[in-house]
Amino acid sequence: MGMTELGKTARMKKIKVFREFGVFMVMVSLIAILSIASPAFLQMTNLINIVRQTVEIGIMAIGMTFIIVSAEIDLSAGSAYGATAMLAAYLYKAGVNPTLVFSIAMLAGGAIGFVNGFLITKAKMPAFIVTLGTMQIFRSIAYSISGGQNISVFPESAESSWIFKLGGSIGVIPIQVIVMIAFFIIAHMVMSKTKFGFEVYATGGNKRAAQLAGINTDRIKIACMVIAGVLYAFASQVSIAYLKSVPTTAGASREMDAIAAVILGGAALSGGRGTVIGTLIGAIIMSVVKNGMVLLSVPVFWQSGFIGVIIILAVLLDTCISRSNKKG
Amino acid sequence: MGPHIQFKNVTKKFGGTTALSEVSFEIQKGEVHCICGENGAGKSTLINLCAGVFEPTSGEIWVNGKHEKINSIQKSEKLGFSIVHQEVPLCTNMSIANNIFLGSSESMKGIFINESYMREKTQELLDLFQLKLEPTRLIDSLSIAEQSMIQIAKAIYYKPDILILDEPTAALTNDQRNVVFDIIRKMKRELGTTIIYVSHRLEEVMELGDRTTILRDGQFITTKNIKDITMDDIVRLMVGREIDNNSCYQCYATDEVLLQVKGFSKHRQFDNISFELKKGEILGIAGFVGAGRTELLNSIFGINKPDEGEIYIHGKKVPVHNCSQAAIKNRIALIPENRRDDALMAELSVKQNAQVVILNKMLKNGVIDKRKSNEIMDEMVKKYHIKTSDVNNCIMTLSGGNQQKVIIARWLANEPEILMCDEPTRGIDVGAKAEIYELLRDIAQQGIGIIMVSSELPELLTLCDRIIVMHEGRKTGELTREEASEEQIMKYAAAIAN
Repeated sequence: MGMTELGKTARMKKIKVFREFGVFMVMVSLIAILSIASPAFLQMTNLINIVRQTVEIGIMAIGMTFIIVSAEIDLSAGSAYGATAMLAAYLYKAGVNPTLVFSIAMLAGGAIGFVNGFLITKAKMPAFIVTLGTMQIFRSIAYSISGGQNISVFPESAESSWIFKLGGSIGVIPIQVIVMIAFFIIAHMVMSKTKFGFEVYATGGNKRAAQLAGINTDRIKIACMVIAGVLYAFASQVSIAYLKSVPTTAGASREMDAIAAVILGGAALSGGRGTVIGTLIGAIIMSVVKNGMVLLSVPVFWQSGFIGVIIILAVLLDTCISRSNKKG
Repeated sequence: MGPHIQFKNVTKKFGGTTALSEVSFEIQKGEVHCICGENGAGKSTLINLCAGVFEPTSGEIWVNGKHEKINSIQKSEKLGFSIVHQEVPLCTNMSIANNIFLGSSESMKGIFINESYMREKTQELLDLFQLKLEPTRLIDSLSIAEQSMIQIAKAIYYKPDILILDEPTAALTNDQRNVVFDIIRKMKRELGTTIIYVSHRLEEVMELGDRTTILRDGQFITTKNIKDITMDDIVRLMVGREIDNNSCYQCYATDEVLLQVKGFSKHRQFDNISFELKKGEILGIAGFVGAGRTELLNSIFGINKPDEGEIYIHGKKVPVHNCSQAAIKNRIALIPENRRDDALMAELSVKQNAQVVILNKMLKNGVIDKRKSNEIMDEMVKKYHIKTSDVNNCIMTLSGGNQQKVIIARWLANEPEILMCDEPTRGIDVGAKAEIYELLRDIAQQGIGIIMVSSELPELLTLCDRIIVMHEGRKTGELTREEASEEQIMKYAAAIAN
């Protein structure tokens, strides 16, 4: 009120940095610990490897951020990823024009999101139950397309197309990493600067109040689901381009990684809170931890347990920070 | 009888804001001690310190002559505190009896719950409160007033040493209020309970209190015997200036008809309601809780589709939709009754809450223009006197009055022609109330038509040019400002006027 304009902007910046501060410190300290514990960690090839491993989870987690901020959840993400991957692989293999295949995969992703969103908003069913159901359905679709077999070895027409170039790199930097960063920037702009983004926060913050303020909350929730569906499908195409093979279990339990990244990034499962930048940091933490465990030869049995510990500790830290910061 | 509770230089800070500053006073054993102050004066903070929700930043709280660190709710209970909070924290999915005995081992028989004991004790309690309810009724199915009564019942059941009541009567009818007052007096008389009473209704303070402590902007102003002080004195001490609501009345109503509502009916809610609203007019709707007033406003706003009825704006018929977007396009605004559930977005900032309706105005190339948004926000803060240290703080850090100002600002920014307010000053203290009255008069002067539902008759009589009275869904009367009096309104509201 009595503040100068300058003082105000400085203050705003401070708060904004602070919002992802807790999880950012977790990332920095993990990196610091691992660089001391293992000399291989900080090597360029390893770092690039980490970032590359972040790509698929990262892109899926962007979609999951939209969904969680709008106060819903999507358990079908991994199966949606698997089904679109399998569908595309089947069509590539059959020699269909790769651009057409890519478009079909994106449409399929969007349709998957729409089905989820429609059931949640119009049939008024809880997202947890709807996506628990569609998770199984999409997985079955993936199995039936593949006939239970992995699909690999694609025709030359597909492998030489622009889509498979996503698996390549410019110099040492994988193209998919550049694409992922572009996606994060766009998503960040959408969430923080557009009317749509604002309405997603409002819908997740208090659905009834948002409705009274003239926001079509059903449309917002469906839109979030559709955006997420397209992003899952895109992530699956990146994976095909890089691995040139799709296993029958593609994407299994990926939804949990995506949800974990979003939650690590400071989002509230009750909706209305969460940022794209936070999600990026969350996704990087997941990759860093996985990578570090391999470097330190942590027994395989303990690797997922360790990730669980990290998730709980990081969210605990975040809760403590926001509690000490918030009145009431 | 010595001092029961002593506050010694108690200070509580939240980040940069000081909620309480060096507050010192004493509460005697067995007295009814009222705490008065505007919203943001620090009353709730003081209560939360006693409840063990917060700890003081500095200073000490002494109970029974001993310095106590109240660092948890359990500790607070052990010291004999029992608190009835303003917002009802009951488990709505459970029965009345279950809620009364929640967290207590009294109803246990070994490892099993003694249902019949629980029901029997609850029935006694319900009788005491003159509530005709079954102990097994679910909280969900009760009215807000009944829920408030249950909450008070739960607090007194365990016969605490110190009973703290925070706005307990906000939702109650006069009869219910009298029942509660009788119970409070009985506790004081028979059990020697110390009672700390917080209310915006100064008549209650005068009626019930032995002494009162007045807080202003987090500072202790004075403690007085109720006998030695008048209501006007308390108001003056609370706000530090004189308030006169009535003298500034002026009629801004024109002859131009803005809105016509014709034959609005909805099964079990309201029946054949018709009225007109003129440009610049403040139209009040009076009636008891359950008369269908809120439902009627919601129908006009398009979120509660009526079975029958038509709306005309500027003489032109507009379709009655089942969504708020059409109403907003027709420049109708609604400030809902339940601020927390229907208006506030709790995770969002003050600024986001204020600007959610006017996003289109701030778009530049499809992106929200930060500079424009900041400019609009600065203007809002100034124009509506919103008290906040930073508009990017969470909305929940504001006091109730300031939250309400943000909600009003939200809608006025969209330049409505018709503003409907449902209990616009619920849970707001005198100072902020006066500000909101002034604001509503300003709005009327600008030619906006206002429809206002209120359960506080003085408020309607102060502000309105015309008052409609409803009883069980029917319109039973319509009074001009000259005809209206509390008595006349009550007659129509109870449907006993001829």
